[in-house]
Amino acid sequence: MSTAKFRTLEREQRFQNPPKDKSAYPMLYEAIEPHIGSFNALTEGAHGGLLNLAVKDIGAKTIFDSTSTDRLGNKLMIKVDSVEIGKPSIPTNDKLSLNSNTLPYECRERMISYRSKLRLKVTWSVNDGEEMSEIRDCGLLPVMLRSSRCHLQNLSPDELVKHKEESDEFGGYFIVNGIEKLIRMLIVQRRNHPMALIRPSFASRGNSYTKYGIQIRCVRPDQTSQTNVLHYLSDGNVTFRFSWKKNEYLVPVQMILKALMETSDREIFDGIIGTDLSNSFLTDRLELLLRTYNKSYNLYSNQETLAYLGDKFRVVFDGTPDMSDIEVGKLVLKRIVLVHLDSNQDKFRMLLFMIRKLYSLVAGDCCPDNPDATQHQEVLLGGFLYGMIVKEKIEEYLNNFKLQVSSDLNRGLKVNFHERKYISRVFQRINENIGQKLQYFLSTGNLVSQSGLDLQQVSGYTVVAEKINFHRFISHFRMVHRGSFFAELKTTTVRKLLPESWGFLCPVHTPDGSPCGLLNHLAHKCKITTKQSDVSGVPGALSQLGISSVNSFAAGPGVCCVQLDGKILGWTSHEKAKIVADTLRYWKIEGSHNIPLDLEVGYVPPSNKGQYPGLYLFGGHARMVRPVKYLPLGKTDIVGPFEQVYMNIAVTPEEITNNIHSHVEFSPTNILSILANLTPFSDFNQSPRNMYQCQMGKQTMGTPGVGLVHRSDNKLYRLQSGQTPIVKANLYDDYGMDNFPNGTNAVVAVISYTGYDMDDAMIINKSADERGFGYGTVYKVEKVDLGMSRRRGDPITQHIGFGDDDWPEIWQNKLDADGLPQIGVKVEEGDPIIAYFDDTLGKTKVKTYHSSEPAYIEEVKLLADDTNSECQQLSIKYRITRQPLIGDKFSSRHGQKGVCSRKWPQTDMPFSETGIQPDVIINPHAFPSRMTIGMFVESLAGKAGALHGMAHDATPWKFSESDTPADYFGDQLLAAGYNYHGNEPMYSGVTGEELRADIYIGVVYYQRLRHMVNDKFQVRSTGPVNSLTMQPVKGRKRSGGIRVGEMERDALIGHGTAFLLQDRLLNCSDYTHTSLCKDCGSLLTTQASVPRIGSMSSIRCRSCSKKLESFSNEFINESDIWEDGQGKKFVGGENTTTVAIPFVLKYLDSELAAMGIKLKYNVQPR
Amino acid sequence: MDIDKDTESGPAITIRSSERDHVNFVLKNVDLAVANSVRRTMMAEVPTLAIDLVEIDVNTSVLADEFIAHRLGLIPLVSDSIDELSYSRDCTCDQYCNKCSVKLELAAKCDTDSTMNIYASDLAKFQNGSTLGDPVIRDAQGKGSLICKLRKHQELRITCIAKKGIAKEHAKWSPCSAVGFEYDPWNKLKHTDYWYEESVEDEWPKSENCEWEEAPDPEAPFDYNARANNFYVDIETIGSLSPNDVFVKSLETLQLKLAGISVELNKDTVESSNAESGGLTTYGRNGGETPEINYGGSYGGSSWS
Repeated sequence: MSTAKFRTLEREQRFQNPPKDKSAYPMLYEAIEPHIGSFNALTEGAHGGLLNLAVKDIGAKTIFDSTSTDRLGNKLMIKVDSVEIGKPSIPTNDKLSLNSNTLPYECRERMISYRSKLRLKVTWSVNDGEEMSEIRDCGLLPVMLRSSRCHLQNLSPDELVKHKEESDEFGGYFIVNGIEKLIRMLIVQRRNHPMALIRPSFASRGNSYTKYGIQIRCVRPDQTSQTNVLHYLSDGNVTFRFSWKKNEYLVPVQMILKALMETSDREIFDGIIGTDLSNSFLTDRLELLLRTYNKSYNLYSNQETLAYLGDKFRVVFDGTPDMSDIEVGKLVLKRIVLVHLDSNQDKFRMLLFMIRKLYSLVAGDCCPDNPDATQHQEVLLGGFLYGMIVKEKIEEYLNNFKLQVSSDLNRGLKVNFHERKYISRVFQRINENIGQKLQYFLSTGNLVSQSGLDLQQVSGYTVVAEKINFHRFISHFRMVHRGSFFAELKTTTVRKLLPESWGFLCPVHTPDGSPCGLLNHLAHKCKITTKQSDVSGVPGALSQLGISSVNSFAAGPGVCCVQLDGKILGWTSHEKAKIVADTLRYWKIEGSHNIPLDLEVGYVPPSNKGQYPGLYLFGGHARMVRPVKYLPLGKTDIVGPFEQVYMNIAVTPEEITNNIHSHVEFSPTNILSILANLTPFSDFNQSPRNMYQCQMGKQTMGTPGVGLVHRSDNKLYRLQSGQTPIVKANLYDDYGMDNFPNGTNAVVAVISYTGYDMDDAMIINKSADERGFGYGTVYKVEKVDLGMSRRRGDPITQHIGFGDDDWPEIWQNKLDADGLPQIGVKVEEGDPIIAYFDDTLGKTKVKTYHSSEPAYIEEVKLLADDTNSECQQLSIKYRITRQPLIGDKFSSRHGQKGVCSRKWPQTDMPFSETGIQPDVIINPHAFPSRMTIGMFVESLAGKAGALHGMAHDATPWKFSESDTPADYFGDQLLAAGYNYHGNEPMYSGVTGEELRADIYIGVVYYQRLRHMVNDKFQVRSTGPVNSLTMQPVKGRKRSGGIRVGEMERDALIGHGTAFLLQDRLLNCSDYTHTSLCKDCGSLLTTQASVPRIGSMSSIRCRSCSKKLESFSNEFINESDIWEDGQGKKFVGGENTTTVAIPFVLKYLDSELAAMGIKLKYNVQPR
Repeated sequence: MDIDKDTESGPAITIRSSERDHVNFVLKNVDLAVANSVRRTMMAEVPTLAIDLVEIDVNTSVLADEFIAHRLGLIPLVSDSIDELSYSRDCTCDQYCNKCSVKLELAAKCDTDSTMNIYASDLAKFQNGSTLGDPVIRDAQGKGSLICKLRKHQELRITCIAKKGIAKEHAKWSPCSAVGFEYDPWNKLKHTDYWYEESVEDEWPKSENCEWEEAPDPEAPFDYNARANNFYVDIETIGSLSPNDVFVKSLETLQLKLAGISVELNKDTVESSNAESGGLTTYGRNGGETPEINYGGSYGGSSWS
């Protein structure tokens, strides 16, 4: 049994003197490495990073300066030569600042973005002449913290503290308008591996289309991808499908084959069929395939086919007039077909392989691949996605340049490519601010794209990295989403936990409710590759192992195809392939033959209608990998999800069986995420309880950080009395969780004591509360901007501070002489928080505090803008004290949440013989149905630990049936003079009498959740009403009412409480008195007459009265005449009365009247 | 509570161990209700002194004002002569005065590069001629409890007003950290039921107090008339009062409370006698009738006196 330590002194030492060399928690940095690694890959690595690869891929745009159609004119080739991202710095016009670096803390406090200059080196040449270049500033690009573009990169904890960061700030996110944002990881299809699919939707593509298809997601070296699909048609034909700029195109696959290479039907036939000549299913279909194509298209040679393709796709691919059809055709192949491969020869072979796999799928020789299995998935990393967007925006930039030139031409402006001035002018007239577009992407998560980037969603890419507590913060970086496309899907198959994800995705840590199973978290040891492994030694090693060359005559599932990152390297027999795979694995772990350790050796053995066999090697980016121990060498192997399916990895050393297991897990806990690992004794709990704990850990009012003075988050929760748990998994220390305590050790008695602990309520000891149990604080930041209503360029008219005029003295109680609030002063609703002098009015005014909850002023920060103008903005941080109240939510670490129902006096609490009284009482009924035995064990371990003054390790799967924690901790309790099972005889605090049963009492770590009554309570007697219906408005913020809905109404009816029902539905809602005409029965025609001398105003019915003019020759008594507001005179209509109705009835009547329907009411007595 | 009548069968106390902040004794020949009342009173109703008002002049430390105030409140203060002080609410003064409060001051500023610790011993008391209100200090270095830590240029200037109070109001006024309480270690009364898996003896450790009572005879029939008689009490104080004081004062408090009840119950008799002698009455408002029930008539007068 391993033990845990408190490490109090170590921690204190580390806080006082942060390490000057490296962090004490390397695992934290490893956890977020995929984010930083992928961002760094944009600017670092081979060929100057992904962005420079991307601009190479974009190539040059060709522009001609002629308006006439018969000649082309001068040719301008413009391209982006290289991309450079600087480090965040102050604007160049600021000459006063000594330090020109902008640091992240400043961005957080000033609520601006952490971004740096994006510079493009644009080169152009006229008529293929001399190249000219210019460096263009393309706006400020938000950069990732601690990436190579950040000032914090590689800083030691000591330096980080000096830069006003957390001592273990690990970065991986962006700061946009002061908010920390990160790009969520997304699950996408595994790259460069053709996947066999059966999708009913494929059949709806067109006539004779079937459900069979082969899909491959090809990824270019710059990490942009292009998906190719082969469709099987019921007549045996195969179509190649791709989408380009959100449009789909279908091409017969033979056309692609013939365009790729000068080839013959024989070659295609052999390449697909190989030696399986006797397979008539295949030969029949292939014959059909080749014949129908030749018949319908009549294209035989490579050049003919290319020209045909080029002709058809010229418009779509923006072929310039100087390009021939053949060149356009080649461009299509380069841009679309199997873009991960360079040579057409390789593409041709891969396409043949895909066709064969498709036929196998149709014939039922192989099964479809499961796109929901981790085996066929990889992760789209934030940095790569960011790069993809930058690439697209750069291409857009060049296109805009082109459009600007053509618009100049159309408008008849002088266009002179030779003149540098003209080029510069074009640059000035197009939108160069690429950085802003990326900032928009980060702040909204919306992808604005012409191509769609081969992705299935347009929004939801970014999330706020909330710092509610450290658990939540770190989880954001380990989160992988399946894609919002799947969230709307009716079927739940995508949400299933598949055995393939063992060790890569945590089986515990997923939310319940709508994102369940779609939003997963990586297992804590799972890494994601951000670099291409050096696979140059692999082909050599393979040929050494006797793999025959690619050119050999072989095809089909009968032989084993050897592929490396989607490129066919050769063929071998299945028997040999197994040996090759094993040898490769041995070599890579041994470190010999120049084979990288993280090479994925996916050997798919031949099977009866199983997965299509072959030896698939992967060494690319974005793969999930994890370490396991390789038994023959006793060294670490890095395995991926593709190969893992066919490997035998023992979970514990005990279960290793000879000739079966090749690997063993380093620890069974490696399959759990960081948070799931922190649940103590989670192996004793019913599994959903562990899921709940993962959720609740993230909602805990804990410690968001220690550098709170340098943050300006909208809302921060902080537990003032945080402790290190007595019972904790050892990983707790490895991840440095003690730097951010999340709860308090509480003495918990499981007893039904007062009746106030019914139904998950819990009782808190009043004295414990008074001593500070669970005491928390909420920090809120309000940004005050005096220049809000001021337009750009207007002079500043409002100045912070008091003016010379007379203003109420009482303001000085809260405000200092400078007009800013005093630090530490208590403010209540309506109190002044800042005074300013308004020039236009010549008066001093104040802004007031708008919250019903009293707060204390914690900090006031004056915020400057980038110009040197007068200060107009400030942020005020309020401190709101939140001692535990009745109605606040607490939970243990086992998904056992409860609401505080009473603060019970200490004297009345039950007590043990030693005089110990529980801090918290929970009801025993919380356990039988939930089966959170882990909580019992924690209680036991906590008690033993408290008694002996030591911490206990709560890592799951450390105990066994023969060595139970009950015995382990029971012995410790016995040694301390306590009952073996953790029970104690207790006495009633009220009578002093011993309780009938002994009580289970121990120490459990309790979390205070952030859901507090103070944020939730809603009361109203009267208040604002909706002006249309006169019913109470809704919403807590507007002090609205709570709806008595249909079901509540039913309940009231069921109880027969008619009076209550009327009270709720009418009297307390829109009860109104209104006048009604008894003659015509109308609500709407009544109105008040104008009071005249000698008579009061009366209610008259307008439709029942007659106009005075109509009585031209009769005598009308003056007292019978009444007047409306417009001076019109009437007679009659006096038979009205007042009724009580719900106001909406009047509204309904009006609406019906508008449709020509009259409501008539009979009133009695008449 | 016929304490004085019979020393043989009356309440008795055997002190088993006694230290400065701790006492362990056996309370004999009292009713369970009495013993528990004493326990409850000791925990919650013995008046002590604790910082109740904190006036903060300067606080540039990392801790929030209310947080420091809370910490100050929990510092135990010497309360031996607490009787000299009256409750602030009963005092004639406006807010607080020397008769109902003790003033302490804390002024600290860190000027060094290293962290400065502020302890309870740094609280300076305004002279009041006694030890009342001095922070309780028990550690060897004489520092007392840690209040907060200051960094260079951080400053604390605080005036604290300590007031008399009881733990019913706030836990900071409790003189006890814990009160152990046990009776019937052999469970002869069968008030409880020891749960066990295999054997009671192995799984339940014997109480130390078992030695003080005879082991039960397994053959003996259950005595349903038996009452709990011996109470093993263990008081641990926080240092503001000595355990002896806590116990004695708890009895005083208890007596006062009982006397209060007695006075209330006998109001009619007292008042009627007052009326006869021309003193103050309250019942006159009901129309001059004396209530029919008269508790004092037959026996009350003698037994409550």
